[in-house]
Amino acid sequence: MSENAGMRFAVAVDTGGTFTDVTLFDRDRGQMWTAKTPSTPDDPSRGFMNGIEAALQQASLSPSDLSQVFHGTTVATNLILEGKGDKVGLLTTAGFKHVLEIGRQDIPRRVNLFAWIKPTRPVPPERILEIPERLDAQGGVLTELNEDAVRDAARTLRDRGVNAIAVCFLNSFVDPKHELRAGELVREEHPDALLSLSSDVLRVFREYERSIATVLNVYVMPAVSRYVAQLAERLAEADAVAPLLIMKSNGGVVGAGEVERVPAHTALSGPAAGVVGARFIGEAAGFKDVIGIDIGGTSADICLIKDGNYDLTNNGRIGEWPLSFPMLDINTVGTGGGSIARVSDTGALTVGPASAGANPGPACYGNGGEEPTVTDAHLVLGHLPSYLLGGTMQLDVEAARAAVERQVAQPLGLGVEEAARGILSISDNDMVGAIRVISVERGHDPRDFALIAFGGAGPLHGGSLARLLGARTVIIPPHPGVLSAMGLLVSQFRADYARTCLEVPPEYDHARMATTFDELEAEATQWFERERVPNAARTLTRHVSLRYRHQGFELNVPWAGNAVTPETTDKTLDAFHALHEQLYTFAQRDTPVEIVTLHVTAEGSLPQPRLTERPSGGTLEEARVDQQTIHFEGGTQSVPVYDRDKLSAGISFPGPALVVQLDSTALIHPDQHVTCDRFGNLIAETR
Amino acid sequence: MQRGNNNMNIESTAQQAPVCDAVTLEVVRGALRASQSEMEALIERTAMSAFIREKKDFFVALFDAEGDMIVGAYRPTFGDPVRPLFEHYPVDDMRPGDLYWYNDCYGSKGSVSHSPDQVFVAPVFVDGELIAFAQSWAHFADIGGMRPGSISPDCTDIFQEGIIVPPVRLAREGVVNEELLRIFYRNSRFPDISQGDTRACFAAVRLGERRIVELAERFRREVITDAFRQLAERSQQAATERLRATFAPGQYRFTDALDHDGQGNGPYKLSLELSVDDNGVVLDFSDSDDQAPGPINYLVNPAVPRAMIAMYLLAGDPTLLLNAGAGRAIDKVILREGSVLQPRWPAPLGQRGLTMMRLLSASMGLVNAAGGDATAANCAYVIYFARGIADNGEPFLLTDGIGVGYGARPYADGINAVYYVAQENYPAELVELSYPARIRAYGIHCDSGGPGLWRGGCGVVREIELLAEKAIFSIRIDGVDKPAWGVHGGRNGGSGRAVVNPGTPQERELEPFSDGNVLVRGDILRLETGGGGGWGHPFDRDPALVLSDVLGSYVSRDAAERDYGVVLKPDDETVDDAATIARREDRPTVDGMFHRGTYRDVLE
Repeated sequence: MSENAGMRFAVAVDTGGTFTDVTLFDRDRGQMWTAKTPSTPDDPSRGFMNGIEAALQQASLSPSDLSQVFHGTTVATNLILEGKGDKVGLLTTAGFKHVLEIGRQDIPRRVNLFAWIKPTRPVPPERILEIPERLDAQGGVLTELNEDAVRDAARTLRDRGVNAIAVCFLNSFVDPKHELRAGELVREEHPDALLSLSSDVLRVFREYERSIATVLNVYVMPAVSRYVAQLAERLAEADAVAPLLIMKSNGGVVGAGEVERVPAHTALSGPAAGVVGARFIGEAAGFKDVIGIDIGGTSADICLIKDGNYDLTNNGRIGEWPLSFPMLDINTVGTGGGSIARVSDTGALTVGPASAGANPGPACYGNGGEEPTVTDAHLVLGHLPSYLLGGTMQLDVEAARAAVERQVAQPLGLGVEEAARGILSISDNDMVGAIRVISVERGHDPRDFALIAFGGAGPLHGGSLARLLGARTVIIPPHPGVLSAMGLLVSQFRADYARTCLEVPPEYDHARMATTFDELEAEATQWFERERVPNAARTLTRHVSLRYRHQGFELNVPWAGNAVTPETTDKTLDAFHALHEQLYTFAQRDTPVEIVTLHVTAEGSLPQPRLTERPSGGTLEEARVDQQTIHFEGGTQSVPVYDRDKLSAGISFPGPALVVQLDSTALIHPDQHVTCDRFGNLIAETR
Repeated sequence: MQRGNNNMNIESTAQQAPVCDAVTLEVVRGALRASQSEMEALIERTAMSAFIREKKDFFVALFDAEGDMIVGAYRPTFGDPVRPLFEHYPVDDMRPGDLYWYNDCYGSKGSVSHSPDQVFVAPVFVDGELIAFAQSWAHFADIGGMRPGSISPDCTDIFQEGIIVPPVRLAREGVVNEELLRIFYRNSRFPDISQGDTRACFAAVRLGERRIVELAERFRREVITDAFRQLAERSQQAATERLRATFAPGQYRFTDALDHDGQGNGPYKLSLELSVDDNGVVLDFSDSDDQAPGPINYLVNPAVPRAMIAMYLLAGDPTLLLNAGAGRAIDKVILREGSVLQPRWPAPLGQRGLTMMRLLSASMGLVNAAGGDATAANCAYVIYFARGIADNGEPFLLTDGIGVGYGARPYADGINAVYYVAQENYPAELVELSYPARIRAYGIHCDSGGPGLWRGGCGVVREIELLAEKAIFSIRIDGVDKPAWGVHGGRNGGSGRAVVNPGTPQERELEPFSDGNVLVRGDILRLETGGGGGWGHPFDRDPALVLSDVLGSYVSRDAAERDYGVVLKPDDETVDDAATIARREDRPTVDGMFHRGTYRDVLE
């Protein structure tokens, strides 16, 4: 087997804050093995390899049997969120030294201006060096690039020990010539520096957003490069020859080499894998319109899939910073199992964003946590058995009750169960708000979607969220805790290319647009070559960002066809009017439309796994392992507890019930009825 | 704990339990906030005025059936926008699907305070009963008037500031009166933009209406109404308690002044008095100067000063909404008709933004004077309008807002380079793509932040080159003669200025608050904006922070030594500790609580 690994065995590694989830898949037989090992934050490559080895051991395989290694990483995300990236220098056009400090000059809408403090930028002004040079908005040279100034700047940064350099010049999205030349000069003077050019990273207009993206890219570059090199080394040491493919924020994978070039593309790598997994499970279960909700310890990541497609946004943010790369439209809300419930001096009950984290964790973990969390509320109400992770961890019900009683019930004058239900109502409501943002605000009615509840805590909330949203169906995947790893396994190659190319009506320059599309496709094709994607597996699609004249916000629609003609342009504009109406309730068909940015998406397909079918024929009684008391709003009930692994295909049962498994517990409400489908998904329908 | 919840409920019902329980209240609060965000997102993405879409000069809010605001933005700019309708349209006469509209400042008692701001309000009905109002408000680019952009420092009455729309019923049971809109669009120099903005505001109000109806369907109508009451009460209670804890009984005064009215008259004094005694808490502005001939008059609705003080009091707890309840912590607001804060019809109001920003800072001065720990003064934001004909023959109107420095706080530096809440700049690359103009420089105005233990925020430098044959510029910079004051030993912030073709033989300084400035192709306008006041004695500022400010070009080396007593070594990169200690021995004394440069004595 080792001699000819072919495309048979693929492994996916999803490194989270606490655990590393690994899924190993046999494409020929549809068999899957999963492993959960502790993450190793001091050197994540160790946890990565431990996880792979644990999974291989179960399958009696060796690393050389692997054909691909897929990976979702939070290295870049955490560096940005925690402000722990590298010391970066930025070369900017003379006159724009404070481009980062000024930003968009606004105070956020939700804050109190008396109390708000502007977040500290990732690069202080003293490391932003001004270079005399200037292009106009058409790319014409107003001031030649001052090459001596670039050399001086590179030497200054080198002497100050700055080894990560970003270059972002004004109007470089039109023509990158000054940036390219500056890059060459920096390399000559400071050959060891890592370098990032804005025209290479994000070739669209708006100088603050482009500067920040370029800076953040090089900010995380040293650590991500080091990390990717370590992973490659670990794999090589273990004699693995499989290529390492890394998930990007756009839901596609690329080779490790591409990630080293634009590491900021991995800013949403972790949650993106979950979205891809949700789409796969939805389709397997026969649902093309789904809302995925991935509830972890500190936050919930929410996405929407319509007709089997997920949306990308160019208006993503990471922490305080705009990151205008194409990203999956994932909405994150700071509510998860570890979110802490508090009552303010004025009597307001809030849940999150403060989290008990892994340590001390919820009060019921018995590690000294004194504040009640969402998990404690579930335990108080009987939604969780008193043991977790297959019996390896005992939960302290009394500690949970005491925390809820002391911190919430007493201050609000409520009973303990009532207070626990209150905590869950608030957290559900926060999540519903976040779901509405990606559904209702995008012109979709959540009642038309099935919910896929995953992440460790997802299956506890799926039922109540569905009720609040009016959705009828909740899908609980076979391994809710490792769905992200599943998403990695089923992912495709993907890269996005974009260029701002403003076309103002009534005279659109079709030839110029055609040339720009061709250039973007040429870039995409070069990438296909680097990734060795076979011709037959390649797909290129064209999109445009459009807006009504005088608007400042663009909508993205597919280009109607491949040619750029007045006819295809008109068809594309029609699609824009229709989308505008869908999203914003009106269209203005008489108002001229501006074509702002052209996009090309390159996708390369990878062999797709087939899911194993679960045996049928078992009985419900065989799966019943326990009985549990649950405090529902309508009264206390004793409900059956089923072992997930023993539920065979075709079995169905009414709620209320609990379904327990190693990585998660599902709460089935009294008004739900569950069927186990042939792949082991639990399909809970509201009666 | 015994399962005795039901009993507990019965007991608490006896002492008049609220219809909406504590948990539902938070759910409703979250849902109202979410509705507000949705309405805002809709306007932001569809509006066409650059004012609205990039500067985000718009506002949405939800009100109870009485017209009291329950949830809105954290911006004390707005009056009492629903009640003005009642005079013309009694509640009994309102029906589902109605939509009301106005921009009439005097007719709404200052609920809207200059004519470009259009207010749209929809009543919300559940089970045939009116339970709430949804409102949106936005600054339209041009509604006619004397000059493109409608408002100009040259205006001498409100008729020159564009068409006036009294409260009217724009839609009856869902049927829109298109004739009204045709009159309105016909009065704009940019009718297609007006149309887009109107559609955006419409859609937002309808969305808010729908969300409240859904909320009432999810809970009960009585629960929602009770939630409104409790949300107002909670803010009122917190604001009242904090107010009493902050201000000892007594009378407190603070006076500030605007440079002039755009037409050379002035300065204009704003006099604020707070009295706290057993009878209540009263704000009295009646000692302020008489109204101005120029358009800086600010028709203050009493809700605005209430909200200004309340916003200070509520800082630090995001669960407290800045709403009508919070404003009730102040029992009474006294304004004098004929004053610059309560002008008589038809005085011009277009540039009231300056007066509003001054009043906001003056309110913080009053809080400081009354023993609170408020900020130093902010500089008022700066804006210019450029109007002309582009080379393609089309008229253009560039309205470009420029950030300033905000006042230092007792615990932090003031904010550098911001305009106002939720108002964004135009990126240089956007200006160059969309207007015949080029941004030559855009940076921090060095040394403009008022020195202090905490430094005032720095203003901005922006250089604009004109790429059209000719354009008329209107410029609005206040605080040149009377910069933002510092407090508790902190010094005042730096001033702004406007200069054409700096550093050339053609250099000329412009009147900082003026219209009719003609620039021709290739001219460069350099705008420097002012900074915020400092807090605490600058000689007490950590030398490491001063060094960091010098390295970041916020403070010059000379100012570090002069204003902060921090001496740098010749390398400019390290503090000379010995020289700094020696320099700081000669510490300037500070008398009085406020520092406001040369104009201090005039006011006190």
